[in-house]
Amino acid sequence: MESGIFHTRYESDMALRRTPLMRWRIYLAVAFLLIFPFVGNSYTLTLADQIGIAAIGAIGLNILTGFTGQISLGQGGFMAIGAYTSGVLTTHMGLPWWLTIPIACIMTALVGGIFGIPSLRLKGLYLAIATLAAQQIIQWAIVRSALGTDALVVPPIKVLGTTLNKLRIGPFGGVDFWFYWIIYLFLALTILFTVNLFRTKVGRAFIAIRDQDIAAEVMGVNLFRYKLLSFATSSFIVGLAGALLAQYRGIVNYERFTIDASIFYLAVIIIGGLGSVSGSVYGAIFMTLLPAILSNLGRSLGSTAPAIARLVPFVQQGVFGLTIVLFLVFEPEGLAKIWRNIKDYFRLWPFSY
Amino acid sequence: MKSFRVLLVILLVLVGVVALTACGGGSGDETIKVGAIFDLTGATSDVGTPYSEGVTDFVKWYNDKGGVDGRQIELISADYAYKVDQAEQLYSQYVSEGVVAFMGWGTGDTEALRSRIAADEIPFMSASYSDVLGNPSEAPYNFMIGTGYGAQAVIAVQAGLDAGATKFAIFHHDSPFGQSPVDMAKNYAVAHGATMDVFPMPGGATDFTAELTQVQEAGIEYLLIQNVSSPAATLVRNIADFGLDVQVVCLNWCTDELFASLAGDAGEGVMGASPYAFPGSGAAGLTEMEAYVTSNGGKLEDKGIRYVAGWLTMEVMTAGLEKVVADKDDVTGANLRAALETMDVFDTGGITQPLKFSASDHAANKAVQLFKIDGGRWTKTSDYLLPIP
Repeated sequence: MESGIFHTRYESDMALRRTPLMRWRIYLAVAFLLIFPFVGNSYTLTLADQIGIAAIGAIGLNILTGFTGQISLGQGGFMAIGAYTSGVLTTHMGLPWWLTIPIACIMTALVGGIFGIPSLRLKGLYLAIATLAAQQIIQWAIVRSALGTDALVVPPIKVLGTTLNKLRIGPFGGVDFWFYWIIYLFLALTILFTVNLFRTKVGRAFIAIRDQDIAAEVMGVNLFRYKLLSFATSSFIVGLAGALLAQYRGIVNYERFTIDASIFYLAVIIIGGLGSVSGSVYGAIFMTLLPAILSNLGRSLGSTAPAIARLVPFVQQGVFGLTIVLFLVFEPEGLAKIWRNIKDYFRLWPFSY
Repeated sequence: MKSFRVLLVILLVLVGVVALTACGGGSGDETIKVGAIFDLTGATSDVGTPYSEGVTDFVKWYNDKGGVDGRQIELISADYAYKVDQAEQLYSQYVSEGVVAFMGWGTGDTEALRSRIAADEIPFMSASYSDVLGNPSEAPYNFMIGTGYGAQAVIAVQAGLDAGATKFAIFHHDSPFGQSPVDMAKNYAVAHGATMDVFPMPGGATDFTAELTQVQEAGIEYLLIQNVSSPAATLVRNIADFGLDVQVVCLNWCTDELFASLAGDAGEGVMGASPYAFPGSGAAGLTEMEAYVTSNGGKLEDKGIRYVAGWLTMEVMTAGLEKVVADKDDVTGANLRAALETMDVFDTGGITQPLKFSASDHAANKAVQLFKIDGGRWTKTSDYLLPIP
């Protein structure tokens, strides 16, 4: 019978996965992710790919908003920078796709850093408005530039002279299948990087700034430097999400990167859990699957009861909003906290006091 | 305790497996599956809803008539609330269920899916009429029933030039949709010795006094609007309040019943360019729709011009399917594309100019009719006009 987790050695306290169960969870998750593409069809793979990209974008935003406490409404704009950089470099300059992705990340990090400059003087709602301005400025610049009028068509990725769409190994293949591996490789790298980031001096400085910026400064954290660094790191990963989206969908259109995208990602990290890497992933899964599940439920409901079929889309919208509100009311710390609560409940069961 | 954890893990794995197997769907041979996404709850739901009714009603009417050589059309559709991500989810879901054609809706989803439909070989029709979608080398699986925005604007400018105007302006939605006709219209005006000023309309703007002051100072005679009905009506009301004497010409997304009612008195005399005939205009092609709507206890004039567009678009897609089946080809996207390209001229009974696709041109419709609001109703002022180079 356990009464909690107690560490007797520093190594075990500082380990990335501190209990055997946590390690097993990772093995299971990896095994599931490795098997999934071979049993999924193009629909479930599309959902998985969307979740992967959303998770990368959400982790990026969480570094800035959840860990450093700098609220950002510019997510859509930063993703657009990543997507357009990657798209333009492949389409107009003929660079190979894998080379455009790091360039897009660096480009987004630079732009993110520039828009992070006001964060030294601005906090909270004021910073939200400043990042909202970033969103609008980037969007305006794209719509007004030569990129705005027509969508940017990114040539499909070719491996050994065949496009990914035609590339098949046995019954497995297609854009969704191959991109699954690319996206989840990058997601794994992002998770590893971010989880470890918060075990370093830099990451701890971010958290100190979030918890109390004046105290952090007194302790010797250079606020300006670390805030900019947080903006740049966050934007780097957000740019990765944008670049992957551009290569995956094969077309870049500004309508995907409006303020709606910024709000979607904020919702993902709030529902998943601010300041939690696994929360970002849970949030991405939840926010991507909920509309899909509601739409499928609505469809089966509509075919069994045609009389209410007309109302289904409206009910879907209502249920979507209601679910989010209920989540926030009952667990403001998000899915990550719910998962922790469940673990604690079972760990201490039946004597939880 | 330990055994409970193991049980939990096994349970979770089982749930995952069941969820996965439940996703794989079989496909029937009898019906022909067509996917569709509609905007019933999103930003453009006011026009998206009647369009969706047109599409679904056509399929019901057509299946009641017997379908494609006895095979029913199964329209698989859902609301996507004008969200690109959801459009992609629904698209891939329907493609994995075996649809051979897809009905889209707006600029956002049409552009987002353009590369994918080409890779998956799924012919696609939507209500987005960016001129690029009619060019098979850019968009090989998109087919366009409405007149391209650029062509619409050129015809509108032409009408102005014929009336002796030399100073034009275009007010457009601040997006790729809005900008789409601007270059073509401007180049055309300049080539014919006229001028064209360009004014973007930011989303949510309710006051255009600043822009209208510029319009007045420049002495603009013809003012084109490439926007949807409610912002266009706001602009027209502003013009009336401002006391500006210009001829306003709406392109197809504000030439509808909604604009006429929103603009009220300020809308009197506004011209509109529409690829489609209005309900009640007496076009022969409208009688089937009219009979169907009436038999269901409605009135076609209440459904409006967007309903006509939805019905007609689905009708043309179905004509392609009929040709595939008549040619005894397999019903696949690639064959449907070939059938649409080689199909005879499609007579819409006066709802549009007769439609003709070819392997080098997927813009079947080149002409628009001009209308004018008279007593709150759009009345026809011209026959089908083609752009003159």
